[in-house]
Amino acid sequence: MTGLSRIWPFALENIMIQLFRVSKSFGVSKALQDINLRIRKGEFVFVTGPSGAGKTTLLRLVFGAEPPTDGQILIRGINLNRIRRTSLDLLRRRMGFVFQDFKLLPRKTVLQNVAIALEVAGERPSVVRKKTRQALKAVGLSKKEELYPLQLSGGEQQRVAIARAVVNDPLILIADEPTGNLDPDITRDIMILFRSISLRGTTVIIATHSQELMKDTEQRIVLLKEGKMLKER
Amino acid sequence: MGLRNWAYYTKHAFINIFGNRLVHAISVGTITSSLILFGSFILLFYNLNNWMVEWGQSLSMSVYLQDEIDQKTKARIESLMKNLPSAELKEYISKDRAMQDLVDGLGAHSGLLEGLKENPLPASFEIIFKDVNIRQLDPQRMKEEIEKIEGVQEVQYSEEWLDRLEGLIYVLKVAGFIIAGFLCLAVLFITTNTIKLTIYSRRDEVEILKLVGATDWFVKIPFLIEGAIQGLVGGIIALSALFLLFLMFSLDNVHIIGLPVLEIVFLPMAHLAFILLLGLILGLVGSFIAVGRFIDV
Repeated sequence: MTGLSRIWPFALENIMIQLFRVSKSFGVSKALQDINLRIRKGEFVFVTGPSGAGKTTLLRLVFGAEPPTDGQILIRGINLNRIRRTSLDLLRRRMGFVFQDFKLLPRKTVLQNVAIALEVAGERPSVVRKKTRQALKAVGLSKKEELYPLQLSGGEQQRVAIARAVVNDPLILIADEPTGNLDPDITRDIMILFRSISLRGTTVIIATHSQELMKDTEQRIVLLKEGKMLKER
Repeated sequence: MGLRNWAYYTKHAFINIFGNRLVHAISVGTITSSLILFGSFILLFYNLNNWMVEWGQSLSMSVYLQDEIDQKTKARIESLMKNLPSAELKEYISKDRAMQDLVDGLGAHSGLLEGLKENPLPASFEIIFKDVNIRQLDPQRMKEEIEKIEGVQEVQYSEEWLDRLEGLIYVLKVAGFIIAGFLCLAVLFITTNTIKLTIYSRRDEVEILKLVGATDWFVKIPFLIEGAIQGLVGGIIALSALFLLFLMFSLDNVHIIGLPVLEIVFLPMAHLAFILLLGLILGLVGSFIAVGRFIDV
């Protein structure tokens, strides 16, 4: 190990996310206990385990939506425990989150739902339009940009959520049960989409309890049970 | 924060207002009612003050003379009266003229005076003070000074009315401040809760905005603009309603016994601007209180 890597190991190892002895409790309930995890830039990771294992909590901690009860979380070397509120907002603009319930705004069109992620960053309207249409094209929804979420199928809504998550070229893409309510064909399409995003250098973390999704995959798998990390593959 | 952002905030504020028309209409209605009450008080004070000044400008005094004075003394008093600041000697009323006026005034009952052996009424000078602010003129002190002049029996002016009016204005002012304070608090409370309602109805949107990296101010500013618009619209409607009320009530001038005919005037531009600004500030502050505690994702 060189001197630089001893001082700042993230620099050489290209660590995107590091969790060091992270625990999270909600009252007396321990959602996560003593989690240590390193995820490299461009890595594709499945976080799996049964319901209540702590998958969603882990993702929310990485996203900065919740603070850990104990331990440290570093995103590109930035400690989320010490980050200022405005800096967290800026960091979130470089992270995409695909929610299990999609979190789309029913009174906004598909185009407007995706554009939000760029508008909050203060992008020019022309840039917003261009990038939004590119993202919708990438998820195969170019022809449905003027429709409202309730006019779309579940799979299409999920793709809108993915388009919103990737529209600003995030460093990290986090997806919580992204195929939970979708049929096998759509699930396969969406997983292909995630892999293509990962190939562009984005770190992808997917929480799922579906064994089917991880079958025959070479990707890294983190198994959680009752808030503890049981094993990694 | 560039112009582009402000265009975005304003556009979204208007979209939100039209999207939650009913809630905003209720809020604007309540702000309007409060500002109408507030504006009515200001209008009342403004006119009372005007009347006081007008009355001061037309304040009249009767300087009654002793019966036994000679022409020289009378001429000296007349000269002194003419030299009083802002005073105009309206007329001299002799003893005979005073009696004739009393007979005319009593009309059918003038027979009551038939038993009088001599005329008890004094001669007098009637003086009018013009272009004098009642607050600057001290009629009581002036009365005391004139009564010291040789040959002057008594000086009378309508001090009772003046004192009453001043007392009434003072009471109204105190009551007005208290009521205005409560009205401001009520407007704040209503605006705060209305904005809370709109934030609550759009909590999903707020959450999503925060999750995609919106700063707190990016989320808050459209709500603040909404509050300011509510206050401003409430102010405009309140002033329009006040003007209509003014038109209705100012058709007839006010007559008060013993006072000159009084004319009701509408508020000047500065007062109108103040009420509009007050509505805007109350809306803005109400929203600020509401968003300050609601947005935390």
